[in-house]
Amino acid sequence: MKRFILVLGLAALAVPAFAAKKVEITFWHAFGGGRTAFIKRMVDDFNYTHPGIEVKVEYKGSYRDTLNAAILAARQGSAPHIVQIFEVGSQLALDSGIFVPIEDYVPADLKFQLADYIKPVANYYRIKGKFNSIPWNSSNPILYYNKDIFKKAGLDPENPPKTFGEVMKACEKIEATKAAPKCITWPLHSWFVEQWIAEQGALLANHENGRAARATDVYIDSEAMRRIVKWWKEMYDKGYYAYSGKPEDWDGANQIFVSQQAAMLITSTSDVTFHQNAAFENGYHLGTGFLPIPDGVERNGTVVGGASLWLTKGHPDAEMKAALTFLLWFTNTENMVRWHKGTGYFPVLNTSVKVLDWEHWFTRNPAYKAAFDQLLQSKANRATQGALLGPFPEIRTIIENMIQAVFQGKPIDQALKEADAQADKALKDYNASVGQ
Amino acid sequence: METHAVYKHRWLPWILLLPTFVILLVFLYYPTLETFRLSLYRVAFLGLRKTFVGLANYRELLTNPTYHQVFLNTAVFSALVVFFSMAIGLFLSVLANQKIGGRRFYRLLLIWPYALSPAVAGAIFLFLFNPQAGIVNYFLQAFFKVQPDWLGQPTLAVGVLVAAAVWKNVGYNVVFYIAGLQNLPGDVLEAALIDGATPWQRFWKVTFPLLSPMTFFLFVMNTIYAFFDTFPFVDLLTQGGPNGATNILIFSIYRDGFRFLKTGVAAAESVVLFVGVVLLTILQFRLGERRVHYGG
Repeated sequence: MKRFILVLGLAALAVPAFAAKKVEITFWHAFGGGRTAFIKRMVDDFNYTHPGIEVKVEYKGSYRDTLNAAILAARQGSAPHIVQIFEVGSQLALDSGIFVPIEDYVPADLKFQLADYIKPVANYYRIKGKFNSIPWNSSNPILYYNKDIFKKAGLDPENPPKTFGEVMKACEKIEATKAAPKCITWPLHSWFVEQWIAEQGALLANHENGRAARATDVYIDSEAMRRIVKWWKEMYDKGYYAYSGKPEDWDGANQIFVSQQAAMLITSTSDVTFHQNAAFENGYHLGTGFLPIPDGVERNGTVVGGASLWLTKGHPDAEMKAALTFLLWFTNTENMVRWHKGTGYFPVLNTSVKVLDWEHWFTRNPAYKAAFDQLLQSKANRATQGALLGPFPEIRTIIENMIQAVFQGKPIDQALKEADAQADKALKDYNASVGQ
Repeated sequence: METHAVYKHRWLPWILLLPTFVILLVFLYYPTLETFRLSLYRVAFLGLRKTFVGLANYRELLTNPTYHQVFLNTAVFSALVVFFSMAIGLFLSVLANQKIGGRRFYRLLLIWPYALSPAVAGAIFLFLFNPQAGIVNYFLQAFFKVQPDWLGQPTLAVGVLVAAAVWKNVGYNVVFYIAGLQNLPGDVLEAALIDGATPWQRFWKVTFPLLSPMTFFLFVMNTIYAFFDTFPFVDLLTQGGPNGATNILIFSIYRDGFRFLKTGVAAAESVVLFVGVVLLTILQFRLGERRVHYGG
């Protein structure tokens, strides 16, 4: 009898080997730390509920590393099916020619999901009227502030500054009352500059931010840019603005705020969960507000930051279909709710927002509310759509260098003019390299 | 004299050497040649698209002020790193070579930083020199009421980078210098002592010249270190900032190649670095031959 059971057991084990082979899909993303595990759990759920498909998920390092790895893999004919690409890599991904425009491949019965994206997100990722990728993690910058320091300085802890001028006034008070050693911090990153340009309804590149046709001119030497740099320089000179000294140092800015060396922080909404936990652990009260904007301009809203999921070309039909099944499942209503709660990234579907509303999520978690309202109130225009630029990483470095040069005393007019010329050259070289 | 007698067959030594050749060919010679080739192309997307442009990439390096700054930064940075890591290394080795209690312990501590990975060393310096939350500024604020913007000021940022690179490499120099000091012929030093030479004279007239082969060797090694192995410090501490003040060649190659995807320009920079180091090494050997004293 025992032997019989053993044989039966072995036979049962052997059966899957004869069953139809599973379609294997690879998925590369750029989320380290706790998010790697979070994504893995979601993928495991998918594999469990979809017996015919096996998704293999891999963390490939930073956004840049992931993009580079995908391009190299495509060169060798072994591209992963799904790749996460950051928003400024969009033009680069289009030009690389290794991806398919995803909207053409979405099966008719799932097309409804593409109509469900919240407007600002659809606005960004619909390039020339078509989704080239599936929006996934979306964020934008908001103001975080320490309510305890605000109280100590005699500021209204429920009413954070909304404009550059109001930030400056709050800083004067914080300095006068010695409520905190520094007033405000944010990473010295071009991303914030791009957001402030969009808030003013201005463009960063010609041909309608590179959306109507390929951009050939970067607008760094502009009135909108001058307003930002002038204020930033004044904040720096007065000792109100603090940063770690290293460009693009997100952790450095977080460290300054969490250690209560500064009363305010501007950073991505994707850090809401992190900052709520940090405030709890360090015993202060956290507030969030809209991104402060230049005085005297109408608030246009922010550009969607983050990343989307791209599908590479050249796979058999069955694999393409399976990859799309996964993609649309991974970003469906319930998974977007889960993703938002776990990270702070926006729920990018209207139906997900409805679910969250129904759960009274935003009233129970007010820190997430500012983030989300700011996004929803963004106007849909070319400015808030954000620029499409091939050499965006290089242009970002040029902008960051320009700001550091201004800090060191270079006249703003000269710095803007030089940076503008450098950025135009970078764009020209890039366009030439892709044969344009 | 028959020197091939060990091997019965002529081809046997070649077969034994084959694995080395294969490795050299695949991992060294082929990539080097490929770099030379790529430096003549305008490359998009890590090689998905290529157009031959002749020497345009080199022209870019020679005419663009950004790269002039990179070359200058590299020269200044390398000179400072080589000088300070060797000078401090020698000074500490002489101290650690004294016959004092616990010298083995001191030596161990001196070598320690070398065993750390550069990434860890870089992260330590990043914590130390954070202007708001770093320990260095905490003490400076407490005692002198100043809080320098270490990584935001060009001169200070170069200083911090040099300090980090030197700190990491001093241990290496200490190991070799202590070995060198312990192998010095005792009779020469004794003779100098009997002739009434002061410790200062004994060091500069006897010890230092006798150490010259070691100094020469370390000079070459430290130069290579300063050019190639200092990438992690720049990457972790400054990202080449502020405003390009710490953008040295090895970092610029990485950034152009893998962040800006300008593979052709990065290849040209690699070739410049390669040629530069080769020339420098030849020069060092030429000059070294004359000055180095190998007698013992």
